[in-house]
Amino acid sequence: MFKATLRSLTAHKLRLALTSLAVVLGVGFVAGSFVLTDTLNATFVRLFKQVDGGVDVRVRSRSTFTEQDRGGNSSKYQPVPEALVERVRQVPGVEAVTGDISGFAQMVDRSGDVIGGDGPPTIGAAASQDQRISRLNLVDGRLPAESGEVAIDAGTAKDAKFGVGDRIKVLLRGPAEEFTVSGVVKVGSADNLAGATLAIFEPETAHRVLDRPGTFDSVDVKAGGVSQTVLRDRIDAALGGEYDVITGEKLAAQEAQEVSNSFVKFIGIALGIFAGVALLVGTFLISNTFSIIVASRTRELALLRALGARRRQILVSVLGEAALTGLVSSAVGVGFGYLVATGLKALLAAFGGNLPESATVLAARTVIVALVVGVVVTVVSSILPAVRATRVSPMAALRDSGIPSGGHVSAARIVVGVAFLALGGAGLGFGLSDGDITLVGLGALGILIGVAVLAVFLARPMARVIGFGPARLFNLPGRLARDNAMRNPARTASTAAALMIGLALVTFVAVLSASIKVSLEESFDRSFAADYVVTGRGFEGFSPELAAELRQLPELSDVVSLAAGQWRLNGDTTSLTATELSSFARLFNLKTVAGTVPPDDGSGLMVEEEKAKSNGWSVGDLVPMEFATTGVQQVALVATYERSDFAGEYLLAAADFERNFASRLAQIVVVKADEGVVAGRSRLAMAPVLEAFPNAELKDQAQFKASITASVNQIQGLITVLLALAIVIAVLGILNTLALSVLERTREVGLLRAVGMSRRQTRRMIRWEAVIVAVIGAVLGVSVGVFFGWAVVRAIHDTGITTLSVPGGQLLGYVVIAGVLGVLAAVFPARRAARLNVLAAIAYE
Amino acid sequence: MTAIPQSGPPRASSPGVPRAGSAAAAVDLVKVYGSGATVVRALDGLSISFPAGRFSAIMGPSGSGKSTLMHCVAGLDTVTDGHVFIGDIDLTTLDDARLTLLRRDRVGFIFQSFNLIPTLTAYENIVLPLAIAGRKPDKAWLDTVVDAVGIGDRLKHRPSELSGGQQQRVAGARALASRPEIIFADEPTGNLDSRASSEMLGFMRRSVSELGQTIVMVTHDATAAGYADQVVFLADGRVAGEMEAPTAERVLDRLKAMGD
Repeated sequence: MFKATLRSLTAHKLRLALTSLAVVLGVGFVAGSFVLTDTLNATFVRLFKQVDGGVDVRVRSRSTFTEQDRGGNSSKYQPVPEALVERVRQVPGVEAVTGDISGFAQMVDRSGDVIGGDGPPTIGAAASQDQRISRLNLVDGRLPAESGEVAIDAGTAKDAKFGVGDRIKVLLRGPAEEFTVSGVVKVGSADNLAGATLAIFEPETAHRVLDRPGTFDSVDVKAGGVSQTVLRDRIDAALGGEYDVITGEKLAAQEAQEVSNSFVKFIGIALGIFAGVALLVGTFLISNTFSIIVASRTRELALLRALGARRRQILVSVLGEAALTGLVSSAVGVGFGYLVATGLKALLAAFGGNLPESATVLAARTVIVALVVGVVVTVVSSILPAVRATRVSPMAALRDSGIPSGGHVSAARIVVGVAFLALGGAGLGFGLSDGDITLVGLGALGILIGVAVLAVFLARPMARVIGFGPARLFNLPGRLARDNAMRNPARTASTAAALMIGLALVTFVAVLSASIKVSLEESFDRSFAADYVVTGRGFEGFSPELAAELRQLPELSDVVSLAAGQWRLNGDTTSLTATELSSFARLFNLKTVAGTVPPDDGSGLMVEEEKAKSNGWSVGDLVPMEFATTGVQQVALVATYERSDFAGEYLLAAADFERNFASRLAQIVVVKADEGVVAGRSRLAMAPVLEAFPNAELKDQAQFKASITASVNQIQGLITVLLALAIVIAVLGILNTLALSVLERTREVGLLRAVGMSRRQTRRMIRWEAVIVAVIGAVLGVSVGVFFGWAVVRAIHDTGITTLSVPGGQLLGYVVIAGVLGVLAAVFPARRAARLNVLAAIAYE
Repeated sequence: MTAIPQSGPPRASSPGVPRAGSAAAAVDLVKVYGSGATVVRALDGLSISFPAGRFSAIMGPSGSGKSTLMHCVAGLDTVTDGHVFIGDIDLTTLDDARLTLLRRDRVGFIFQSFNLIPTLTAYENIVLPLAIAGRKPDKAWLDTVVDAVGIGDRLKHRPSELSGGQQQRVAGARALASRPEIIFADEPTGNLDSRASSEMLGFMRRSVSELGQTIVMVTHDATAAGYADQVVFLADGRVAGEMEAPTAERVLDRLKAMGD
């Protein structure tokens, strides 16, 4: 008896550990996302305090909007005239003034490859014109003083092995140029600016190479004997409120905040979503575990009731156990989250983040939120089992009930399930049609919960069908596996539902990306007549010079340069594509509805017909386009066109783009070879041009198509890997449920062993039960996922994703993988069942 | 594995087998639990033989070793010393896998309670050892067995739909279904009322008299022992006496005499 007690105690420990694991993982990611974002924010605040330490006041234009949403060199503050420097200098209390310029400048290493640019921007900037104000920390050589000189960041110097006196090639908006390295700078104590490379030019050179003739981005001021705020107010007054004047302190906070908003926030949200998914899956695991614990303690609970315990006391005891479990595992989860954050920080640094050293921040808020989330999730998950525990009749103590049957399904369950499905469906529908992501998420959540609640009705028939194979193939063990999966549909359903969630999301991502790929390929085949495409290697784009040089080649008939930009129409920010209109229309089979397409060097705006109609415009109208740099300009609507996958809603003539935008890098250049020129020859002809622009990449049509498919696959892969966490938790759930079921069926397994079932057959029986449960979850998940995919593809029909593609082979693969995971989950419980001491199992008290 | 022939009709008396006429036997059997100060000698050099074709009962006070003896002889438990035979096979030479096969093919079991798999019907429970072995049941024999237990109309029912007595008789039918060399019954009537008990015992009696089976039953109920051909009395892990053609009264007297 003592032995049995010990065994059940260790089993209890295991059960606790498995339940805790779900909470630990979920809470870990909650805590991890807080810790990481806090740490990064603290790091950036520190970084910009260092950078902006020498600046007391900054003068810049009033913020409008960002004219380009790609690349890191597009600021929402537009240039100020050079003369502003002298105006500011006149203000009493100003000790020193300098003008800032920053723009695109990408350095090239000795082997001709670009440095950086695959994430953080590659920044070119002007050296300070007054040594009393410097945002950089010179560690070697001197700042550039002549037009042929450049100072580079210590990160680039280290990684690409450049030192003072070396020649370095720099890609610019115009033609690339070579400079002599005059010095090496650090940003505060960091080697570069949060991963961004820096090329510092002598001020006059900066005006030229960074494409800011006669303007600065902003003017920085050092105060002499007055406080930042006093000086700010004086300058603001002197300039008549025309400019945005802020203190250095506020600037540092603002810049840190901007970086934080751009990517720290994104990391936080991504981690938060995965934490949410993990916790949702964990909820099922916890609820299931407590259900089984309550079931296995039926007699004990009944005895308590018979001895006079009130329902309330039973409820409190079960919930108390849940709260304690939640508290302990959340505490462990906070520790785990700290490790996750530290690991991710190291990962970021390894990928060129190059952040200044800073301690990991564990705020009190993180600990409190994580503990509260963990405890609440655990307690809420155990409410249903706890209520069930209170319903145990005192009579149950007297009955010799073998195994609690469970599985009576209440009408309330149907109502709740259908309600969740209906609300979820409505949420998803409205969310998709309104483009409200939160509503879409809540709707999807509702549907998942609804299916999970109703899964109890599907568990039996699905187990029957899925179990048909094993029952046939493996005789009795297979048959018993199926029966066991069917005997408690509620337990089977909630175990499978946990797996369903992960698989539904993975399937959704698979369906969506397959649909995107197929739709893209279709639109390529439909309206893409070009032979080659040049794309940037990073996010920044490349010099328009590239297109200009390609145009000189006689082997090519059309060279079209595409740039993306943003403008405002009546205050709403809208995107446009700027291009050589005539060539574009020819290469992309653009069908004009009204008006005529202007020549490549012409002017004007082309609008998609639907859009023109909804705006009430017709050809010949003047459209009031507001540009970040030049303000509102009246641009003539020259033509309307039929919806096209490549054109978007607005096409602006290249000449107008040139006039109204400050950052004018090309994003894509599309090339058509002259008829009669063989493919090899045209490619060969382009080779030297492309060699001069290592930040651009030439692809033929097939390669371009493949590269788009590859990038979709990459994103799909990344998300799938992250979602694997949810699947791991669900597999732990199967393990847990199965282990507890085996414990519950000790007598039964003992009997089977006594009458001659071999250990191998016993393992097989448990294993196939796991496979059946896992496949039920997988089939449910894949079905729900395909539905999500269908709904979303339908909703984004307008964006050009017109074809729903269900990757059948891949989804079948997921189901098979789920089955294999079931086998893995069963390893431990099956071994336990097979090793069961027959005599102890069949012995009576 | 080759040491275990496929089960067939009664066999212990086949020519060339040592200990002819005995379905199961224990020789100098010792079973010790625990160690050091808490050591318990449950079986203390016990030797016994259960003749084929007979209904034997094992009786004795609590702690006399009667259950241990049955578990050892049935191949459910390992022995500390001595030998155990089922037919001509020495169980002490077999590993777990072979013991499992032996139980499956040559031994039948009836336990005190929880004899049946709840997810299987009565019929499926009866043929369970055959199904585990992947063998087809002998239809004629099965009919005979089902007939003997008198549950022909309830074969499609699950255990939860059967009375306690019916459940025990299904267990009895299962024990018979594979025509084992010997059936071990551990307090088979321990959880039954007197009417269900006498039905169960009557069935076991008929299995031996009419169907030629061999049954060894552990019981503490003198009335149950009265159905047997012979009773073996155990005390302190040794054989304390035997009785041929027992009646309930004689058994009770004997137990009293043993100073229970």
